[in-house]
Amino acid sequence: MFTQNPQTVAMPEGTYVFDLRTCNRRLAFNRFFWNMIRPEARQAFWDDEEAAMRAAGLDDEEMALVRARDWLGIVQAGVNFFVLEKWARVVRKTNLEVYAIMRGESFEEFMQTRAVPHAR
Amino acid sequence: MARIIGGIGTSHVPTIGVAYDKGRQEDPVWAPLFEGYKPVAKWLAEKQPDVLLFFYNDHATTLFFDLYPTFALGVGERFPIADEGAGLRGLPDIRGDVDFQAHIGEALVNEEFDLAFFQNKPIDHGIASPLPLLWPHEPDWPGTVVPIAINVLQYPLPTARRCYRLGQAVRRAVESYPEDLKVVVVGTGGLSHQIHGERTGFNNTEWDLDFLETLRDEPERLTQLTHADYVRLGGAESVEQIMWLAMRGALGASLEEMHRNYYLMTTTAMTVVTYEERETAAAAQQREQEVA
Repeated sequence: MFTQNPQTVAMPEGTYVFDLRTCNRRLAFNRFFWNMIRPEARQAFWDDEEAAMRAAGLDDEEMALVRARDWLGIVQAGVNFFVLEKWARVVRKTNLEVYAIMRGESFEEFMQTRAVPHAR
Repeated sequence: MARIIGGIGTSHVPTIGVAYDKGRQEDPVWAPLFEGYKPVAKWLAEKQPDVLLFFYNDHATTLFFDLYPTFALGVGERFPIADEGAGLRGLPDIRGDVDFQAHIGEALVNEEFDLAFFQNKPIDHGIASPLPLLWPHEPDWPGTVVPIAINVLQYPLPTARRCYRLGQAVRRAVESYPEDLKVVVVGTGGLSHQIHGERTGFNNTEWDLDFLETLRDEPERLTQLTHADYVRLGGAESVEQIMWLAMRGALGASLEEMHRNYYLMTTTAMTVVTYEERETAAAAQQREQEVA
């Protein structure tokens, strides 16, 4: 991708810049998660995940990521974490649980790295 | 005229809102956070500002990426608090003063800050997480809010310097309003945290404390940092701290830090700081003469 935006240069590893090009490529995928702020979208997802994904126009790769609950893969594909966390509520995951998964750690392992390991 | 009587920097971690709603203020895990806000609430109760002017970010809740503004000011008498996927919170709508909000918007655009404006929209945890720790809400909030949303999600972001200058322009806008309103400026977000990718869980307390010192005494230095600098030093989402720079820009050169609480519990260095402007020597002398 061609970019002369100096803002996105020299980002540390394990960080995924969400920029205009990413957004353009993954707008529908981001919108799918964003829609979860509406109770009817949450209900539609609970009722029939596959139908909800089809209605949102997700492609095969995106649908596979959702089915696999591949949190890191979804971020790497170009979803902004702040829409993703809305879906985390819908599938009953806390942010701390999602953080552990993105780091490739069990929840208990992850919490042992924290200042207050028994915090919830 | 309206005037700024102080500033607040505060984190806006959504789980603060969850813990608040579940009544975990006394829970040993959460108490260091909630106790740290009590002096701020007391300070506000004593100072009785009419307005809290927030520099905050929307987390792709009210504003979606199909039209995501760099700067956006909210106008309205009431803003509902947003459902972000977990349902509604039991808090009253945030109150607004339309005439004051519109004045700030007009003044900023005439200073060449070409804001977007939103009306009749909910506001998410960018404001709603810390707000009930700052102000009581029963039966209703004691004052109004001016919400100024800043894009810290989708690159290109406004630069640190631009946010600082926005704050400076906000000060001029406030001081050009004829009504005697007392205003506290609030910057939300940070401090160090990263909550996406393999680098999730990154923190840097040394940098956080350095940031707070520099913000108080030499804020211009922080305007020279790039977004990548903030990301490297404090984690990807700590780039929110450019909103603290907007708050700082609205305050005078010499500040007294009245209170600070820093609590890194799990992934975000949850911080709250209050500032008052130091009286200039000339102003102090004049006051003494008036008393004499």
